[in-house]
Amino acid sequence: MIIDESIYNMFKKIGEHLVRHGYNTSHSGNISIKSGGKIIIKRRAAMLGNLEPEDLVICDLKEEDSGSLIASTELGVHRAIYLETDAMAVIHAHNPYCVALSLIEDEITCIDAEGFALYKKIPIIDVKIPAGAYYTSIEVPKILKNYPFVVVRGHGIFAKGMTLEDALQYVTGAEQSAYIRYLTLITGKPLKRDFSKEKDFSIW
Amino acid sequence: MKGLNNKILEINLDQEKISEILLSEEVLENFIGGRGIGVKLLSERIPANIDPLDPKNLLIFTTGPFGGTIIPTNGRFSLVTKSPLTNGIFFSNSGGSFGVVMKRCGYDGILIQGGLKEPGYLLIEGGKGPELKDGSKLWGYDTEKTLEELKKIEGNKINSLMIGPAGENLIKIAAIINDATRAFGRGGVGAVMGSKNLKAIVVKGGDAKFDIDNQELLKKYVEVAQDKIKVVPITRSSLPKFGTSALVNVINILGMFPINNFQKGFDERASLVSGEEINKKLTQEREGCYACPIRCGRLTKAGDMQGKGPEYESVWALGPNLGIYDLITITQANYLCNKFGIDTISCGGSISCGMELNEKGFLNDLSLKFGNTIMLKNIVEKIAKKEGIGAQIGEGSRLLAKRYKNEEIAMQVKGLELPAYDPRGAIGHALGYATSNRGGCHLTGYMASLEIFAAPKKIDRFTTAGKPDLLVLKQNQKAIEDSLVICTFAGWALGLDYYARFLKAITGIEFDVIRLTQIGERIYNLERLFNIREGFTKNDDTLPSRFLNEPLKEGASKGHIIPLESMLEQYYFVRGWDKEGVPKKELIKNLEIDFKL
Repeated sequence: MIIDESIYNMFKKIGEHLVRHGYNTSHSGNISIKSGGKIIIKRRAAMLGNLEPEDLVICDLKEEDSGSLIASTELGVHRAIYLETDAMAVIHAHNPYCVALSLIEDEITCIDAEGFALYKKIPIIDVKIPAGAYYTSIEVPKILKNYPFVVVRGHGIFAKGMTLEDALQYVTGAEQSAYIRYLTLITGKPLKRDFSKEKDFSIW
Repeated sequence: MKGLNNKILEINLDQEKISEILLSEEVLENFIGGRGIGVKLLSERIPANIDPLDPKNLLIFTTGPFGGTIIPTNGRFSLVTKSPLTNGIFFSNSGGSFGVVMKRCGYDGILIQGGLKEPGYLLIEGGKGPELKDGSKLWGYDTEKTLEELKKIEGNKINSLMIGPAGENLIKIAAIINDATRAFGRGGVGAVMGSKNLKAIVVKGGDAKFDIDNQELLKKYVEVAQDKIKVVPITRSSLPKFGTSALVNVINILGMFPINNFQKGFDERASLVSGEEINKKLTQEREGCYACPIRCGRLTKAGDMQGKGPEYESVWALGPNLGIYDLITITQANYLCNKFGIDTISCGGSISCGMELNEKGFLNDLSLKFGNTIMLKNIVEKIAKKEGIGAQIGEGSRLLAKRYKNEEIAMQVKGLELPAYDPRGAIGHALGYATSNRGGCHLTGYMASLEIFAAPKKIDRFTTAGKPDLLVLKQNQKAIEDSLVICTFAGWALGLDYYARFLKAITGIEFDVIRLTQIGERIYNLERLFNIREGFTKNDDTLPSRFLNEPLKEGASKGHIIPLESMLEQYYFVRGWDKEGVPKKELIKNLEIDFKL
C-alpha cells in the first residue's frame, strides 16, 4: 500500500498546527487515520511539526506487526480506539490547559457557549500509568465509544473524528473550553452567566 | 424489546388469512427495526430467484423503536421488498404519519405476501383488527381520487398507502404513494403492490402503548438534540427555508448538476429552478412530517394545479436533466407523477435516456427532445398508462437503452436510475453509487456530506485516498439509521452518539455507537448476500462508462473521471469481502448472519 500524497499533506498540516499552537512539544503527540483497512500513523520520535513523507508508517489494523518497530509509542491506543469505536482518525495531544485542569477536576465543565453547545463536557479518566500504551489502550476506547474525546489525567487528550481535521477541531475546541474555564477560575470571581447550569449534562 | 410492539402483522392475500409474527428479543437486538427487520424477514422468507412480480414476493412495511416517541423526525418508516427494476433487494423510506399510526394500531410492521384474486385494500383500525376489503371500485383511480374515495368510506382521519395507475399497470418505475403526496418512490415498489391486486393500505385510530424504559432520561437527551437542530445551519435555516431544492445552486456551482442525461455538469439556467425561485413562484406554505422540527416540505401551486413539492431530485430529474427550466412545467409533471404513482427520479432518468437515444439517432420519436416542455406531461401520462413510447420508458432506462442497443446511454446502476449528483464531481460519492445494495442511490452512504457539505469536515472531493473506508462507515451508519428509523436530515445535526443514547433510554439495553455501527454492518452484509444469491456479481458494482472514460468538459468538475477499479478493490478489502465482492465466511460468522447462498 502506498501512502497517497493527499494523506501526507493532511498529516503535515495537522501536525504543524498542533505544534505551532502549543498542543505538543517538538516530538510529543501522535496522529493517525484508518485507511485501506490499515492504520497510517506518525513514526515514533518524528517531529510532529515537521513531518516528512517517510514519517508516516502503515500498520495492521487488527494485530501487531513489524510496523510497531518504528510506529508511535501509542500505536496500541490508536489501534484499540479503531477496533472498539467508530473512529476514522485519532489525535493524541498534550493540551496544556486540559492537562492542568485534569489535575484538579474530575471532568471539565464547558462554561463557554461554544463548548457548551458542541461538546457539553470533557470527560477525564485516571490511568494507572498514563504514558505508554498499555493501560491507556484499555481505558480510553471505553469513553470514546460515546464521546469524541477524553483527557487522561496529567497526560493529554485523545480525540477521534471522521477525518483528522474533525479530530483536530475536538482537540482545539476542548483546549479552548479548558482555557476559558481556567481563566475564570483564577479570577476567583463568580460567573455572571454559567451555561453549564442551564442544561443537565450529568446524564450525557 | 421496549419501544416496540414486538410483532408484525402478516397478511396472506392468497388465502385472505391474517396472522401475527412475534419478533424475538434476539432478532430485535440484532436488527432493531425498520430496514433491518425488513431485510431479515425478506431474506428468510422469499424463495431464491423469484420474479419480483410473483405473488411470493413480499412487501414489508416497518417502523422502529424511535417511531411515535418524542425523538425529532421519528415519523419515517421503511419498506423492504425485491425490486422489479433491479431484481435485487430493495429498501425504501417514507415520511408523514402512516408509520406512527400503524405502530399505535399495535404493529411494528405489516408483511404482505401472495396476491388477491380481485382488487382490494387493507384496513387496519386500532382496537378492531385488520380487515381486507373490496377495492374494485378504486381500481383505475389516480391517487388523489383514491384518497378522496377512501376518506368517504373510512372517514377523514386516515393515513394511507396506495398505488396509482402506474402500479396497477405494473410499470417498473411505479411508486407507492403515501397520503397522496409522499412516496416510497424508488425501485418499482408500486408494481409489486399492483401485482398483488392491492390498491391501498389504510390505518386509523389506535392507542397501543409501548414501554419506554426511562422516559425522563429520553426527555433530557431529546432536549439537547432539539437545541442542536436549532443551531446547525442546515437544519435551522437552509432546509426549513428553501426545502431540499436549496441544493440546486450549490451543486450546479460545483459543476456536478447533471444536465441533459449527465452530458454536462453545469448550466447557468439552473438558478431558474432553485429553492429561491420555488419559494418566490410556487410555495404556499411549509409542511413537515410527524414530530419534525425541520419541516422541509412545501405545499405549492403551479398554474392551475396544486400539490406538494417538487423536491430537489424531482426538480432536477424532470427539469434540467431533460433540458427543461420552466418551473411550472416541472412542478406539474411532479404532481402528475404523484397522481399516477411514478418515481420522479426514475421517470426523469428514463425519459432523459430516451431523449439522448433520440438525439443520437438510435430512436426516432418527436416528443423525446431535450427541452421539450410541451410534451413532458403527456409523456408522464403515457408512462402511467403504458401507452406508446411511454410503455418502453416505463421499463426503466436500462431496458430502454438495451432495446435500442446502446446500453451505455442509461444512467443507472443495477437498473436504478442515478440521482442528481454527477459522480465525476465527488469520487467517494461515485463509489457509493457503484456499491449501493439497491443500485444507483445517493442515500445509501451519502459521501456528499463530507465531499461537498463538509459535515463533519471537508475532504478533497477528487481524491480516492481514504474514500472506501469512509464510505463503508457511512453505509453501515445509514443502515442503522434506517432501522431505528430516523430521518436522514436529522443527521446533519445529530448522529449515532445521540441515537445510541436515545435507544438506550428507550430499551434499557446497553447500546453505544460501535454496537449500532456493527448492527448496520450486519444489515448491509445480509443485503449483499441476498443480492449475490439473486445472481449479482462484481460486474454489477460499476458505473455507466461515461463516468469512467469521459471527463466533463466544463464547470468546476471539469476534467475528472472516476478511477473505480482501484477504489473497488480497496472497498472489498475494507468490507472483508473477497476479490469477487463476496463476504468472507469469517465475516459472516463474526456478524452472526444466518443466510445460505
